[in-house]
Amino acid sequence: MKLEGSDFYAALIHELKNNLGLLSMTIDSIPTQGDPTHDEPIDSARLQCQEVVDRLQQALLIYKASNQPIQPNIDAYSPHDLLDTIKARAVFLSRGRLQVQVEIALDTPEIWFFDRDLIEMALINAIHNSLSHARAGISIKAKLIEGCLALIVRDDSAGYPEHILASVETNRSYRASGTGLGLQFSRLIAQSHQNQGRTGELRLHNDAGAVFCLLLP
Amino acid sequence: MSFPSAHNKVDSIDYAALRALVVDDYPGIRSALRLTLSNFGVTKVQLVSNAAEAIYQVKQGHFDFILCDFNLGDGRDGQQLLEELRHSQLISVKTVFMMVTAESYYEKVAATAELAPDDYMIKPFSAELLQGRLDGILLKKRAFKEVYRHYLAQNLEAAITACNQLVLDKPKYVVDALRFKGELLVTLGRFEEAEALYQQVIKMRAIPWARLGLARAFHLQKKDDAAEEELRDVLDKAPEMVAAYDLLSDVCLSKKDLSGAQTALQQGVAISGKTVRRQQKLGEIAHANGDLDTASVAFSNALEKGRHSIFITPSDFGNLCRVQLEQGDLDGAATTLKRNKSTLQSSPEGKLVTAVTQSMVHTQTGKLEEAVKALDTAAELRAAGTRGDAQMMLDLAGTCMASGRFDEADGIVAEVAKNAHDSEALLAKARKIYDAAGRSDVGTGVLASATTGVRQLNNEGVVLAQRGDYKNAVDKLMTACSEAPYNPRIMMNAVWVILKYIDQVGMDETMIEAARGHLAEAERQAPGHGRLSGLRLQLKEVETRFGVNRASSA
Repeated sequence: MKLEGSDFYAALIHELKNNLGLLSMTIDSIPTQGDPTHDEPIDSARLQCQEVVDRLQQALLIYKASNQPIQPNIDAYSPHDLLDTIKARAVFLSRGRLQVQVEIALDTPEIWFFDRDLIEMALINAIHNSLSHARAGISIKAKLIEGCLALIVRDDSAGYPEHILASVETNRSYRASGTGLGLQFSRLIAQSHQNQGRTGELRLHNDAGAVFCLLLP
Repeated sequence: MSFPSAHNKVDSIDYAALRALVVDDYPGIRSALRLTLSNFGVTKVQLVSNAAEAIYQVKQGHFDFILCDFNLGDGRDGQQLLEELRHSQLISVKTVFMMVTAESYYEKVAATAELAPDDYMIKPFSAELLQGRLDGILLKKRAFKEVYRHYLAQNLEAAITACNQLVLDKPKYVVDALRFKGELLVTLGRFEEAEALYQQVIKMRAIPWARLGLARAFHLQKKDDAAEEELRDVLDKAPEMVAAYDLLSDVCLSKKDLSGAQTALQQGVAISGKTVRRQQKLGEIAHANGDLDTASVAFSNALEKGRHSIFITPSDFGNLCRVQLEQGDLDGAATTLKRNKSTLQSSPEGKLVTAVTQSMVHTQTGKLEEAVKALDTAAELRAAGTRGDAQMMLDLAGTCMASGRFDEADGIVAEVAKNAHDSEALLAKARKIYDAAGRSDVGTGVLASATTGVRQLNNEGVVLAQRGDYKNAVDKLMTACSEAPYNPRIMMNAVWVILKYIDQVGMDETMIEAARGHLAEAERQAPGHGRLSGLRLQLKEVETRFGVNRASSA
C-alpha cells in the first residue's frame, strides 16, 4: 500500500501522540520509594518526558499555523479551574522537591475568554522551566492587571538571562533554544489573544527570581 | 466585565461512586487510562475498543461518563458514536461525554457542532489535566441539575427559568447557562429572543458558537441575508468551522441558491467527510443541480461512512442507484444492489428499492420480461402497504408508464402528489414523466385533481387558525390528513392546530391521540425536519399540563 505524504504524516503523528501519551502515563504511574537512587532518575525522566510533550505540542502548533498567525479557539473558561489544574500538575511534577503556591486574587473574575488549551500549554511550559531552575519553590498567581487577566508564574531561581529579557522586550524573534524557544511560543500564544483592539502580551522580568506573566485582554 | 469572586473548594466529586466507559482502539492506551482513572478513585471502568462495543455497553448499563477517542481506526469515529448515542437517546444530557483527540482540527468541530461533546482532551495529556477537566464538567452538570430535570421532563419553560436562575446565582456558569437557554428558545420557536440572547453573548465576546447561534436565529426568522453575511464572516476568520458550512447550505437553499448550497457542503465535506448526513445532503443537492458525478461520490460516501449507522435507510441505496442509472452506469447500479443484497432484502422498503431499480435497469437494457417481473414484485409490495420515498415512487411510476401500465402509474403519481402538494421539484419531475410518455394532458389532470383538494383544505385550515378559529381549522386539517396520509406538511400543520385548539378549550383525548399519530407519521416522512422537535416538545408540554397518562406507555 502506498501512503500519500500528508496521510503518512498524519498517521505517524497519531501514533507518536499515542506512544508519548502512554510513555508519560507509564512514568507518572511509577511510585516513589523514598530511595534517591530510585526516585531521582525517575523524577528527572518525568520532567524530560514533559519536555518532549511540550516540544511536540509546539511543533504541531507551528505545523498547524504554517506561517499564519495562531488562530485561538476562544471560549469562556474559569481562571480558577485553570489554576487548580495547573497547580495539580506542578505539584505532581515537583514531587515534593519544591514548594508550589497558588494565589487567586479576589478581583479575579469567575470567567474569562481565552483558548484554554493554548494557555495551559504556555503555563505548563513556564512551570516546567521554573521547576528546573527554582531553588525552593514556585508560585502561580491570577489577578487583574490593566483590565487584563494576568497569569503569573514566579520562581526563586537566578532569573532569566539578559538576552532573553531583551528579546521579549523588543518583540524581536531570535534564534533560540531551550528555555528561550518555549518562551517564543508563549509570546505567540499571548499575542494571538485579542479583544477590543488590545493584544495579549508576554511580560518577563526578574524579581528575586524569574517572573513569567501572560496578560490576556 | 466584573463578576464577584465566590470561589470555594467545598464542591468535590466522589469518583468512587462513578461508572466510566473508556473507548479507544489502542489496547495500551485503554489500560493506561484505566490506571490513570484509578489514581483518582474511579474503579468501575469498562473498556471497549470501538463504537459498536460502546453502543452495546451503553445499552447494557448506565455510565456517568464516557471517555472516547476520536480516532477509532476503521469504522465509526468518536464523533459518529456521540451523534448516535445522543440521537438515539441512549445517553441523556446528564451523562458526560468527553472526547479524546489527536486531530488538530477537532477543537473547532467540538466548539460549534450541533452535537458537541461536553468537553475534549488533546493528546497527550496528564492525569492531572484529565482530572481537572472531569472535575469541571461534573461540577457543571451538578450546577445544571434543576435545568436538566425540567428539560428531561420536557418542561422547557421551567428549564428556561432554571437557566435564568443560574445566570443570577452562579456567575461561573453564566455563559454555559445562556448557551443552553439559547437552544431551548430555538426549540420553542422563540427565535427573536434567541437572537437577542446570542447578541448578548457576542457583546461579551464574539465566540464562534454564539455567532453561529445568531446566524441560525436569523435564518429561522427568514432573515437569510443577515444569516449569510454572519456566516461568511465567521468562515472568513475560521474556515475550518464545519458546522458553519452546514448552516450556510441551509441558508442558501432557502434563498433558492442551489449552487451556493452545494459549494458550502462541498467545503464542509472537504474538512470532515465522515458525517453521513452531510454526505446525504450534498448528494441530494448535487443531484438537483444535475452534477451527477458529485452526487454519485457523495451518495457512495454516505453509504460507506455510514455502514451500520442508524442514519442509513433503504432510500440511500435508492439514491445512489438512481444517480448511477442517470449516469448511464447500469453495471454500477447492478453492483450496488448486489453488494448490499442482504441489507436490502432484510426489509420490505429495501426490497422495494431493489425491485424499482431492477425494473429501471431491465427497461433500459430492453429485457422487458425481467422488467415486468420486477414491476410485479413492486406492485405486490405496494399492495402490502410498503412505500418508498417520493423520488423512488416517481421512478416506479416512470417505469410503469414505459411498460404501458398507465393506471398503475397514474395512481402512484397521484399518491406522491397528494402527499407532496407543496414540492415544486417533485411535481416538476412527475410532469416530466408524463411529457416523456407523450401523456402531458393526462398528467396535468392527474396532478391537478391530486393536489387541489389537499392544498385548499390546508390553506383554509391555516387561515382559520391564524384568525384564532382553531375548532374549524382542526376540522379542515383533519380532513386534509385523511386525504393525504403521508404528507408531512399537512401532518405538522394538523398537530400544530390541534395543540392550539386544546390550549384554547382544554383537553380532548381523541384529538391528542390524533396529534400523536400525525406527528409520528411526519417524523417518518420528513426525518430531521426543523419543525419536528418543537412540535414534539409542545405536545409533551400539553400532555404534562393536562396530566395525560399515555395508555401505551403505562
